[in-house]
Amino acid sequence: MLIMGEVRTGLLQNSAEIEERDHQTVLGLLAGERVRMSRRPIVYAVSPDLLTGVDCRLPSASNARIRGVGTLVSRATITGGRILQGSSYVRVVRGEVNHRLPWSHYLARPGVVEVLGKVSAPDLAGGFLAFGPPGEQLDLGSVSDRFMDVVQESALLDLRAPFRSDRTRLRWVAETGEPGVHFILGESTGRTLRLTHHGEFSPAVVDLCEDLALHDWLLTALLTIVQRARIGGASRPEVSARLAPAVDTLLHLWMPGARIHPSLAPLWENLERTPGFSRQWQSLVERVRDQLAVNTLALLRETNG
Amino acid sequence: MLVFAISDKGGTGRSVTSSNIVYRRALQGQDVCYLDFDFGSPTVGAIFRVSTASRGTTRGGMHRYLQGEITEPSRIDVWTESDRDTIRAKPAGAGQMVLLPGDQGGGEFATFDAEMLKRCVRLFAKLHEQFDLIMVDLSAGRSFAAHLALAATAQLPKIPARWLVFHRWTRQHIIAANGLVKGEHGLLDVGREYGHDPGALTDRIRFVRTAVLELGSGDFAHLRPAQRSWLNEIDRELRELATRNGVGLTTMLGKVPLDPVLQWREQLISDEDVAGTEIANAETVFAFDDLAKKIVDDTAWEGL
Ligand SMILES: Nc1ncnc2c1ncn2[C@@H]1O[C@H](COP(=O)(O)OP(=O)(O)O)[C@@H](O)[C@H]1O
Ligand SMILES: [Mg+2]
Repeated sequence: MLIMGEVRTGLLQNSAEIEERDHQTVLGLLAGERVRMSRRPIVYAVSPDLLTGVDCRLPSASNARIRGVGTLVSRATITGGRILQGSSYVRVVRGEVNHRLPWSHYLARPGVVEVLGKVSAPDLAGGFLAFGPPGEQLDLGSVSDRFMDVVQESALLDLRAPFRSDRTRLRWVAETGEPGVHFILGESTGRTLRLTHHGEFSPAVVDLCEDLALHDWLLTALLTIVQRARIGGASRPEVSARLAPAVDTLLHLWMPGARIHPSLAPLWENLERTPGFSRQWQSLVERVRDQLAVNTLALLRETNG
Repeated sequence: MLVFAISDKGGTGRSVTSSNIVYRRALQGQDVCYLDFDFGSPTVGAIFRVSTASRGTTRGGMHRYLQGEITEPSRIDVWTESDRDTIRAKPAGAGQMVLLPGDQGGGEFATFDAEMLKRCVRLFAKLHEQFDLIMVDLSAGRSFAAHLALAATAQLPKIPARWLVFHRWTRQHIIAANGLVKGEHGLLDVGREYGHDPGALTDRIRFVRTAVLELGSGDFAHLRPAQRSWLNEIDRELRELATRNGVGLTTMLGKVPLDPVLQWREQLISDEDVAGTEIANAETVFAFDDLAKKIVDDTAWEGL
């Protein structure tokens, strides 16, 4: 009926990109299961799926009391040995009965939450995307966040990340329908995405949301670095020093749509038209490179006479 | 970096001084946050002049987070939520300044369990992702909050941590500050219990003198010669006492002069208070600014 999820994205707390062979240890939240890796066009690792059982209120725009029981699916990913994501989603369906069934029933349906009673998809979606105050409600974000915390606690990480950054939160809902996407950049770190696609839900939709969250985070991080560099305000060496982490860690990670299923590619193209992620990224990158070039030239001129 | 603000007694100026250090650090372009771990009297909202949290928040603060009632403690962006216009005017190049308030009516904890410690460790680690400076205002004395901080930092050896002991420039405060560090159940004692190396921990502790009267300053111009020489003598005795108690110049990170504004009200001193309305002293801001630089300046923290 309705799929909803939340992706949190942040910087892996290590001074350097982690080595390929270390992904298994860092992401091995569940003993005994292999971390999946792909190497082209960028090193990407994803943890096994993790299930969390829930029996709680679901969000509602009209503040209706909706109870849902079931499990949500989460996973953690690392891209480029640098960017960490925690992602959780759930498929909300109407339960066949109005009371709670034995857990075996829900465990047989991983990633599904059954609603006990009436529910309307728009009401649920509206409540979820509103980022209300955290309470007793289903909180996909904090589950995603918890898994990120666990990864960050890995003994392999030195906790000396090249710059400080905030985790972003992307909440998304997906339904079947005429293909379309609507992305909203919130006030602080919150973003929302409404997505409709042809055919049945598939995990490819989750890949798309994670890819979008990743690129939105990259853009946010680069924007912050550029703003804080105080181009024109601070001295040239200072500006260059502040821009350096962006060049060292971020610029090469931009690969929108790299892992997206071809059937969903048109949705990414929509997002490239509005809000136009790559356009903004490209102009920022040029600004950073120009600044560094100009500053280097100025320094050379000074040292040469 | 984690910085813990601690004092043996209440009313030393710990909260006001550490808040102003955080404010100065943000103005210097660093991302900073301030955690109210003074569970018994959460007052930092008042210092930053955030009316929604002047005696702690009702929206889920430090206390409820540590107890596991909420998954994330609420955050206040001081630049946008302060009631003071001069604070809301965030200058270009300033860093983030975020308050994690205590809970209204929270109260001191008597003890903490493993779960609470885990939450505390996780919070510190997460804040370290985002902030250059994490200032934690601890309850006065040998409190549960200090135990929790020592236990948590022992589990986070990769995150640099430093301790600032605030004290006034009087006989009793000097002796008490030393006792808080070296005395029975003091920082070093308790730190050792949780796995800190006492030598390494000692190197991470510095003292800050608050509300200090400077004998050379104009305030004393009106004194009679007899009064002046008496004060000089007392000050000399205090300096000797401080050195004997390990609270002397070598372990002092800085001192903040007595300021007329802070004497009357707990607040941040803005540049406007000095240059515009001229109600506060430039020396006070200079002292905060200097402390804000020194807490991260490794040369001020070399082993003694
Ligand atoms: N440098 C200073 N000059 C004058 N008064 C000060 C100074 N620093 C702090 N005070 C005042 O001392 C009192 C106690 O300060 P506070 O920070 O609340 O102490 P604590 O947190 O140690 O209990 C407050 O009224 C405060 O305004
Ligand atoms: Mg206080």
